[in-house]
Amino acid sequence: MKILVCMKQVPQKDAPLKLNESGTWIREDVSYEVNEPDAFALEESLRQKEKHGGEVVVITSGPARAQQVLREALAKGADRAIHLEDNAFVGLDAFNTARAFAAAIKDEQFDLIFTGLQSDDYGYAQTGVVLAELLGWPHATIIMHIEKNDAGIRVKRELEAGYFQYVDMPLPAVLTIQSGINKLRYATLIGIKQAKNKPLRKVTLAEVQSAIGANLQKIERLYVPQKTKNTEFLEGPPAEVAKKLVDKLRNEVRVL
Amino acid sequence: MLIFRKPLENVERPQMPADVVIVGGGPAGMACALRLSQLIDQHNVAQPDAPLSKENIYVLEKAREVGQHCLSGALLDPRSMRELLPGFEKEAPLDAEVTKESVYFLTEKGKLKFPVTPPPLRDHGNYVISINRFVKWLGSKVEETGITVFTGFAGSELLYGLDGDGNRVTGVRTDDKGVDKENQQKSNFEPGYDLQAKVVILAEGTRGSLTKQLISKFDLTRNSNPQTWGQGVKELWEVPSGRVAPGEVIYTMGWPLTSKEYGGAWIYGSKDNVVSLGFVTGLDYPDPRLDPQKVLQDFKQHPFVAKLLEGGKMIRYGAKSLPYGGWWALPPLAGDGWMIVGDSAGFLNSARLKGIHLAIKSGMLAAETAFEALKKDDSSAATLGAFQKNVEASWIKDELWKVRNMHQGFEHGFYAGMFHTGLQMFTGGRGLHNRYPSKAGYEHMKKLAELPPDGGGEAHLLGPAKGDGKLTFDKLTDLYHSGTKHEEDQPAHLVIRDTDICNTRCVKEFGSPCQNFCPANVYEMVEDTTQLNGKRISLNPSNCVHCKTCDIIDPYQIITWVPPEGGGGPNYDGM
Repeated sequence: MKILVCMKQVPQKDAPLKLNESGTWIREDVSYEVNEPDAFALEESLRQKEKHGGEVVVITSGPARAQQVLREALAKGADRAIHLEDNAFVGLDAFNTARAFAAAIKDEQFDLIFTGLQSDDYGYAQTGVVLAELLGWPHATIIMHIEKNDAGIRVKRELEAGYFQYVDMPLPAVLTIQSGINKLRYATLIGIKQAKNKPLRKVTLAEVQSAIGANLQKIERLYVPQKTKNTEFLEGPPAEVAKKLVDKLRNEVRVL
Repeated sequence: MLIFRKPLENVERPQMPADVVIVGGGPAGMACALRLSQLIDQHNVAQPDAPLSKENIYVLEKAREVGQHCLSGALLDPRSMRELLPGFEKEAPLDAEVTKESVYFLTEKGKLKFPVTPPPLRDHGNYVISINRFVKWLGSKVEETGITVFTGFAGSELLYGLDGDGNRVTGVRTDDKGVDKENQQKSNFEPGYDLQAKVVILAEGTRGSLTKQLISKFDLTRNSNPQTWGQGVKELWEVPSGRVAPGEVIYTMGWPLTSKEYGGAWIYGSKDNVVSLGFVTGLDYPDPRLDPQKVLQDFKQHPFVAKLLEGGKMIRYGAKSLPYGGWWALPPLAGDGWMIVGDSAGFLNSARLKGIHLAIKSGMLAAETAFEALKKDDSSAATLGAFQKNVEASWIKDELWKVRNMHQGFEHGFYAGMFHTGLQMFTGGRGLHNRYPSKAGYEHMKKLAELPPDGGGEAHLLGPAKGDGKLTFDKLTDLYHSGTKHEEDQPAHLVIRDTDICNTRCVKEFGSPCQNFCPANVYEMVEDTTQLNGKRISLNPSNCVHCKTCDIIDPYQIITWVPPEGGGGPNYDGM
């Protein structure tokens, strides 16, 4: 199977974030890491390749720093990489990112495209789904298991409250992968060394410019939630205080 | 039951041949790699028929990304960088050039400005930098050369030659990955590699763990003074503009320390209203209840400092030990198959409170020797010993020789220290003796029974800090700002040889100082009624900021810091 894995570089989860001057996004001077569900998507693709043969290609968009994500993927066993390299890609909404990806892979024949369930920064959970629509492929989200069969694949989706759904799908298809579907492997020294010689195709903004349009979504304002703390003393005899407390917990705080 | 990390046995390990392995990608390691690459490039131009390859030259770095474990004030003396990369100022991330310096002696509420800045603390022409960003930049230069930097990999053991007398270093074993709390393999277990190297260069930074193994195996420091360390605790602040100008440098001595402790503070003005401040407490203090993180909190409450920080915000925290034993505490620098550079050796000028430029220079000199070894295909002590001679012939020795007795002069307190320092200044560093002796820092620690129960004159230094959440912080709040993260499911990397000593002796004799000297709350004495003294040692290894203080100052010398699974540790972004 030939699998494309869409990966994103996101600010590290514990990084202290600072807003940019216009208050629409964060300042770039933070450390970055691989978007967590994307790491699981990559691992799943490598396991599928180990079982069924084929090729794993990884793709990302963003400035030069985003290449780190691809290098890590190549070190873990991906065969080649595609980097849509331009700072402008960071500002694209999910729809445009999907259109840029679709344009960049128009000459490729993939059986499967994996994305992480959502990104840890924007959290749209849209790019994979939109990409499927653009390609005219079926898709399934929140994937917990993938089994290849003669007709295509059988996937397990995570639903609410501990329920799962099993779906049979034809190929090609787009799957968005849930974190925890597998156990991540470590990159090895030899893997890191070999990754240096694996092909990495760079795609400029100009090459995909005609495919993308104006953003349909944008962030108006980003702000740090105000922390407030109110202390209220309930007074009176214990029975009365208890009654007031229950009333507050039920009707104001709504935890009862 | 605590289970400690150790390389797994009976595991088949991948082998990888290497020409040179540099353990540690800090300023010394990166400068070494860069210089080595320059020499190889020059050689390959001059002798195209006998080229040398960079293919098998590797840098191991335990941090997930280059620079993340680097911590310093930091001021950079540009001398060695100008030798390594002439014109580096144009492209390196330098935050401000030092334009003003002042030195104060603090009393509890007052301050006394030194009328003249003592010559070693004159910093004009040096740069305020973020060592994190600076090393990240150096690392990118190294990557451009084609030398491979393995980030997220620690050196866990040295390999010794099996042939002959086994006294030759033949390589480095990297850390095992995917080992659970019980030292069992997880499903994603990856054994550490054996990098079979012609030359191993130890650039691990302060109290390097492989360096420690090597020193102990060959008893390398038998003729050296014991190395002494300080613990630097640092906070990065954003303050309202106009408080500390970019390039302004302030040093203080005195409060909150008393005449019995060695140490002092720095305040550096960086760009964008960022201020770096920190306190170095000598790890040779007498009272086991002293808490260096608390010392920094006390320092910030001094009216002079509080005023500078008022209305500002603490944005990062970190802590690291630094070696300041100086020239007489250096171990031999090279032997069969190995060299030691940077803080691992102890290249730090304690009078100037600077070591980055020396680390870089020592890395460069080691590269020159490694290059000769590659050309000759001989990395025996006979060849690598040239490194020792080259250091002794370089300005590293000139600089360190002048201050060779500096720290030892303070062994008997602040006033004796000032006397000796003054004397040494007029005698080219000699003072009363050519070589002042010294004791290891931990030997200065006194038992509780010998100390006033309330701490006496040191009461304010004893931990833990409570913190008001604005100017001062408790340890966990500070720790949160270090960005520290480790894989949780792994054995403890703070290897305690005998926890009975913690639970029975130390708790009574010293009152478990590990809880105080650790700047990251790794050590905790928990209630345990089955123990004689009702308490038992417990560890939070995931909190560890890799400062190595425990390995240095524990009074029984039973703690060994070994690298945790590669990639874990603090994240000193922007520090």
